[in-house]
Amino acid sequence: MPSSTQIEAIDLALETIVRYNRPDLNSRLRQARARLQNGYIRVLVVGEFKQGKSLLVNGLVRAPVCPVYDDVATSVPTVVHYADAPVAALVRILDSGGDPSSTEGRVERVELPISELAQHISDQHISGNGSSNTTPRWHHAEVGIPRAELAGGLELVDTPGVGGLNSVHGAATMTALPSADAVLLVSDASQEYTAPELDFLRQAVKVCPNVACILTKTDLYPEWRRIAELDRGHLAAAGIDAELLAVSSTLRVHAIRSSDADLDAESGFPALMSYLTDRVVGQADLLACRSTAHDVLAVTGQLAGNLRSEYAAHSDPQAVGEVIKQLSQAQQHAEALKERSARWQHTLNDGVGDLNADIDYDLRDRMREIVREAEEELDNGGDPKKVWEQLSGWVEQEVNSAAAANFLWATQRARWLTGQVGDHFSVEGAEILPKLRTETDDALNYVRAMQLRDSEPFGIMQKGLTGLRGSYVGVLMFGMLGTVVGLPLINPFSVGAGLLLGGKGLTDERRRIVARRQSEAKTAVRRYVDDVIFQVGKESRDMLRRVQRDLRDHFTERAEELNLSLKTSLQTAENSVRTSKSQRERRLVEIPSELKHLEALERKVQNLLPQPGSAESVAATPLPEAPLHLTASTR
Amino acid sequence: MTSPTNLSVAVRGVLRRAVDVFRDEPEIAKLLHQQLDRLDEPLRVAIAGKVKAGKSTLLNALVGEDIAPTDAGECTRVVTWYQDGRTPKVVMYPRSGPPTSLPVHRRDGALAIDLQGTAPEQLDRLVVDWPSQSLRTATLIDTPGIASASTEIARRTWAFLAPEDDSLTEADAVIYLMRHLHSADAQFLESFQDQTVARASSVNTIAVLSRADEVGGGRVDGMFSAKAIARRYQAEPTLRSLCQTVIPVAGLLALTGRTLRQAEFAALKKLAHSPREHADAMLLSVDHFLAPDHSAGSSDSETPTSQNALSREIRHSLLERFGLFGIRLSTTLIRQGTDTPSGLAAELVRRSGMNELAEVLHTLFTQRSDLLKARSALRALEHVLSSSTNAATKDLGGDVERILGGAHELTELRLLSAMRSDEVDLPRAEHAEAERLLGGSGVAPAVRLSLSADANPAQLQQAALEALGRWQRHAENPLFSRVAAEACRAVVRSCEGMLTNLPRE
Repeated sequence: MPSSTQIEAIDLALETIVRYNRPDLNSRLRQARARLQNGYIRVLVVGEFKQGKSLLVNGLVRAPVCPVYDDVATSVPTVVHYADAPVAALVRILDSGGDPSSTEGRVERVELPISELAQHISDQHISGNGSSNTTPRWHHAEVGIPRAELAGGLELVDTPGVGGLNSVHGAATMTALPSADAVLLVSDASQEYTAPELDFLRQAVKVCPNVACILTKTDLYPEWRRIAELDRGHLAAAGIDAELLAVSSTLRVHAIRSSDADLDAESGFPALMSYLTDRVVGQADLLACRSTAHDVLAVTGQLAGNLRSEYAAHSDPQAVGEVIKQLSQAQQHAEALKERSARWQHTLNDGVGDLNADIDYDLRDRMREIVREAEEELDNGGDPKKVWEQLSGWVEQEVNSAAAANFLWATQRARWLTGQVGDHFSVEGAEILPKLRTETDDALNYVRAMQLRDSEPFGIMQKGLTGLRGSYVGVLMFGMLGTVVGLPLINPFSVGAGLLLGGKGLTDERRRIVARRQSEAKTAVRRYVDDVIFQVGKESRDMLRRVQRDLRDHFTERAEELNLSLKTSLQTAENSVRTSKSQRERRLVEIPSELKHLEALERKVQNLLPQPGSAESVAATPLPEAPLHLTASTR
Repeated sequence: MTSPTNLSVAVRGVLRRAVDVFRDEPEIAKLLHQQLDRLDEPLRVAIAGKVKAGKSTLLNALVGEDIAPTDAGECTRVVTWYQDGRTPKVVMYPRSGPPTSLPVHRRDGALAIDLQGTAPEQLDRLVVDWPSQSLRTATLIDTPGIASASTEIARRTWAFLAPEDDSLTEADAVIYLMRHLHSADAQFLESFQDQTVARASSVNTIAVLSRADEVGGGRVDGMFSAKAIARRYQAEPTLRSLCQTVIPVAGLLALTGRTLRQAEFAALKKLAHSPREHADAMLLSVDHFLAPDHSAGSSDSETPTSQNALSREIRHSLLERFGLFGIRLSTTLIRQGTDTPSGLAAELVRRSGMNELAEVLHTLFTQRSDLLKARSALRALEHVLSSSTNAATKDLGGDVERILGGAHELTELRLLSAMRSDEVDLPRAEHAEAERLLGGSGVAPAVRLSLSADANPAQLQQAALEALGRWQRHAENPLFSRVAAEACRAVVRSCEGMLTNLPRE
């Protein structure tokens, strides 16, 4: 594992600082260590259906882990990651009875052999079309497989292409974008990019650090080089900065079967693999290295500062006054930071407040537009019972993509806010921003499906009754009139009038029922959208609150640490006036050795960082958490 | 069954009267004249679909000649009409200004159209006259793809087939090509729904699962998978209400099959009889097939004769004409014993699904062409009448109404469409039978009665009488809803029509 050296370095640092009794620094390093251990690098494989996404994943891991079929095959996302032995599991989220807040116990995991996975997933595809199953659908599948390529924490997610990019599935893929470290857009060489694909790419480059376009099936299409050129042209025209790699899964399979290295190289997979390992993993690794180095250096720097001031105080008791003066200045500095810290708190609180309002407005605005269009459609459409299936499908799809767009925007804004808050700290030097993991757990799952209640079935009985009622009144009315001129109660006129009024009653009733159904359908749409706004709104507020809490904790900790270090230094300096001579002599011997120890650690950590020369290639690309090094801004 | 000509005569009559009424309004009169002319012209069939769905290739395959230009990139940018003519001729109709004749060039057999510097955006259409047997029954219209990355091109197709501003669709029927069912496809088909007459869109639309040879990644058995997928689509309710049927077609294969050359057969034969592993290595990928020095792929240099036998140019043109799937299939067929060019050609066409498409086109479009044309004409007339303030239009409107209500063929179309979108609540078994009897799978009596094509008149009469009795009982069934009962009555009329038109011994 590439991150093992970093973990070693942190362990060493932890050992070193034990004696200084600084629980705050200790916990900081432990956090960093936990982050490294749990780190995984998620690569989303997306695209329209039948472009060869599953085959691509299979080619990458050199094993048939994802089901491949000529018809649409993948219906649930499949997550492929490293494991010591091949395992597979299906995961579904159970409905916990309207309590969306408890995530425990709602997840059901079923382990099964990899060979049976395909069968289960495609079974779902056939039965899932009805979408009226009582058991919830599988949420995703997990596959663990022992492959050296994945050992670096790489996690490949094969997304379902069902319904294309602008469908409900597509919206789900969209919301997964911010949590991904890389996106591979798969498109086959039969044709150049279509409008939905380019739209998707435009969204993807905004929120995801690495976007690569994969041109598959190059073995089948003689003109794939032309297509690649055309695609590059489209990318350039759209201003999308993404690499285009051509691969052939068929050649890869043949190459593996015949262990033919030349053929393998021709398949384009080694190039793709090296893109993933060098660019994606390398970049994530570099980021991990930097933050590790930063954490350790910050800790050692503070400790060394303490030691140096102590040394200075001990070595020259006369100059203690000077040292104390310097330290008080530093503490004033810390005070200033505290003051600034008050200001960053303001920025953070205001920012989150604004963000909440904006996101909420955006969501409501999008939803209102959908409701308006749906209502217009209902008004024009006659009896909504006939078009209900289509209409509800349309509403669901629109709502899904609107929610996804809203979420993406929220993520972008939250990242920007992080940068803003980070600016307040930038005077202290390079400040690494905390990585925001903005993940949603699919709030739309809790939304109840739209239903049109058929409150008034208008069957033969009802029709008969309504008709009878109308005709009865007619017969009676005209019959009575007839009796005045001496006709019997039932005469041709009264019967005619009865029929007429009965028919009118029927048509009126039918019209009334259609109008009523229309208003019921509108209510159903409104209720659904209301539900969505409620759930999605809560989700995004929760997310923002998480972001706020993370940022506040992160920056408060930094401020506290700095304050504590300076306080300790000041205390030691003041104490040094009172220490005995022998003690002072002893410390003067101890301190340089301790310092040497710390310096050795610093050097070791510094080595983790790539050398300037080799760093160029990686650093040339924009880094994930964009404002990594904030240059000093004076406020 | 009332013969289609009756309907045509009636439509012609009402159109003539309309021309007379509108003689003072030259624009409308011209439009109506066009409609009149259109009744005598072949059926207009538009070929639509997403970008790169293989529209031009299918058109070429239908014609049996390389006339529509094809390319790996997006190619068709102008709506192009291909109609039968005595001599080849290309005329360009700009949006404004008089039509211009363009020189006819052929490059490698394919037609090369040089717009002479006119931007495609400024053109309304291109009309190509071409002497061809296949174009005599139907004028084919090639359209630019929808969901194109360049929105301008996509918009043009929409504007042609589903005009926003209520102007008229010029195609009588549509072949819709799709590679897989995308949401854009369904949206497009929905928008092609008729608005005024008959509301019958599914009856004049056929969906084609195009480029079917690429379904299995070019495996030789790919077409079987394509057929399975097509069957699944046929059963899908959304598609059922939008088109008549879904047929898998490998356009390139069909075109090549129809125009197979002796030299190509010889080259394929050479390829098929070269050592198996060598051929397989070559057919692994297009790059391997085209590799300049083929010994790179397989290190054995003992078979230099067969390697050098096919020059790079020949291999290139083979690939262009057959595709990798076509070459794989052809070599397999030759190895299995197909040893004449004509045998191979027939087999290729058979496997491409082209025969099925031609059959369906014949039963659903050509046999009904008078009806479809009359429908288009009535629609145009209705449109004119609805927007006109002329006092005499009331009479005409009445006439149109009378034709619409009286022509049983139109009722059949309307009902078929309603049944396909599940608006008629008949029991399942009756539903299928009613669709067939109404002419859902073809208008020939034998097809309607699901008898074999060579059934003798006595058998036909027997079956028709049985159906008539059965459906008369259904029509009386009090448990059926009003809509269903109406449908039953229409089926009864169809049966009666069949009985009167059956040849007597």
